[in-house]
Amino acid sequence: MKNTKQNFDEFMMERSDVLKAWSTGKDVILEEGLAYQKSLDDSRNFASTMKAASRRGDTLIQPRAGVALIDEHISLLKYLENEGGADLLPTTIDAYTRQNRYNEAQSGIEKSYSAGTSLLNGFPAVNHGIAGCRRVIESLKKPVQVRHGTPDARLLAEISLASGFTSFEGGGISYNIPYAKKVPLEKSIEYWKYVDRLVGYYEDNGVSINREPFGPLTGTLVPPFISIVIGIIEGILALRQGVKSITLGYGQGGNLVQDVSAIIALRELADEYFQSEGFTDYHLTTVFHQWMGGFPENEAKAFSVITWGATVGRLAGADKIIVKTPHEAMGIPTREANAQGLLASRQAISMLYEQKLPVGPTYRREIDLIKSEVNSVMNRVLELGAGDIDDGIVPAFKFGVIDVPFAPAVCNYGKLLPMRDNEGFIRVYNWGNTHVSEEIKELHRAKLELRAHSEGRNVCFQMVTDDIYAISKGKLVGRPR
Amino acid sequence: MDRKQIVLGVIGFDCHSVGNRILDYFFTEKGYKVHNLGVMVSQEEFIDAAQETGAGVIMVSSLYGHGEIDCEGLRDKCIERGLDDILLYVGGNLVVGKTPFKSVETKFLKMGYDRVFSPDTDLEVVNNLLIEDLKLG
Repeated sequence: MKNTKQNFDEFMMERSDVLKAWSTGKDVILEEGLAYQKSLDDSRNFASTMKAASRRGDTLIQPRAGVALIDEHISLLKYLENEGGADLLPTTIDAYTRQNRYNEAQSGIEKSYSAGTSLLNGFPAVNHGIAGCRRVIESLKKPVQVRHGTPDARLLAEISLASGFTSFEGGGISYNIPYAKKVPLEKSIEYWKYVDRLVGYYEDNGVSINREPFGPLTGTLVPPFISIVIGIIEGILALRQGVKSITLGYGQGGNLVQDVSAIIALRELADEYFQSEGFTDYHLTTVFHQWMGGFPENEAKAFSVITWGATVGRLAGADKIIVKTPHEAMGIPTREANAQGLLASRQAISMLYEQKLPVGPTYRREIDLIKSEVNSVMNRVLELGAGDIDDGIVPAFKFGVIDVPFAPAVCNYGKLLPMRDNEGFIRVYNWGNTHVSEEIKELHRAKLELRAHSEGRNVCFQMVTDDIYAISKGKLVGRPR
Repeated sequence: MDRKQIVLGVIGFDCHSVGNRILDYFFTEKGYKVHNLGVMVSQEEFIDAAQETGAGVIMVSSLYGHGEIDCEGLRDKCIERGLDDILLYVGGNLVVGKTPFKSVETKFLKMGYDRVFSPDTDLEVVNNLLIEDLKLG
């Protein structure tokens, strides 16, 4: 394991293999990519846009979007930039590219041409190569981020960063556990050190590239402490490879107090841990993801979920909000629906511009609870790594010290079971081997018993199922029918 | 051979795992033997499992939009492998973009699936249809 910044010559040796994975890799020249990045105006740089927004106290909005073909992708992003008023643009990558299946992606591109519509769920950036990706960047005014779910994103990073993308989502944990089935964790962590080392190269040479670990994970009843632990760990790994601009994420849970507390705890804890690792030269921001679970099919109801997310994200003081659309229940949205999600979110955020949420004792208690949960898990990970966080990650997942609920990866322990308490806070019913004190477990248990009692049933798996579908059926807590 | 067995999985390169867990839990509770292949399952893996177990139905999920590409040809492969009578159920967000469910249903019925379900389907409805189709009632 490379616990410190990877030596440049070693990086270059690994690099020559990475570029061979698909034919478009041969066009990537490190110095030429750097020069291209330097030729772009600062207003198109994601890192400096995030920094400026956080200084002003703004909350920026960003959609998700990506289609198979270049011209259609450009027209989609232009629409979101002009009609939707997005501050930051995405390029969501298709699922074949995420699994490095470039042959399947190529056939998806060809089938999309003949069908006259996108048959891929995102933009296959590797297949389109540098020339295609630069056409996208040059057609737009706002900074563009690569958003995906790729355990091995080394070639994708090489191509997209050399093409002028200035932010890259993901991490060795957050883009493996929720996004893959059989990729060993030690592998994805190494792949992502490469991505971070590449970003480190750009940083060393005067181009800032933003990195964003994926906070929401499985997007399904994830207790805040799990998301925060993983965000902090991926943040440390990124900083060690030379990353400077880092945005840590959290997916909306649904309870106002818990969501605001989570964002506050995330920011404070990340600074503490980064500084205790000896890092001072970094810029930290936060991103709040609007509700990542199931949505109501009715579009009016979906707008309510969207604006509630925008409201909570703004009140929590997030620097950026990732916006959903009224088509969420049906899958990939039209560009019009996507722009509507942005406009609805902007209205709520703007109306809260002058307002501040008084963070009183109720919030403080929740912040303290989240912090003690995070600290006790982090301490155990450090112990397992004999003092080094990096060496602790793989054993922590193996023994279930970190356990992501509902994750598809076989390297995830998979015993932790969350559900909502009577006020809609996400609590833990079955802890598996997660490392928290008996006192904390007792507190969660008492809250869940209270809900079960008020519903006249015992705490059971049916409650989890009811919670998962509750928002799409019009409520936060899944009460018995 | 016990027909009251289900081969369950999420097809292609789709890793949506939450609904898969719920289907597994629901049909196990209803007394079926569920062979859950999890996420990212190929057509061949579905068929291998159906042959090994003698299950009466293959339940295919797809949430990520590539369903149209991934699901094509499963019926033909089943016939090639001698699984002439197996039921094929499919459900989820099966195509890219908002499309009227009727046209999605027609498309997948034509591909040889016996039942096509939208993402908001009540699982009790699926169970009732399954009892009818497997002639368990």
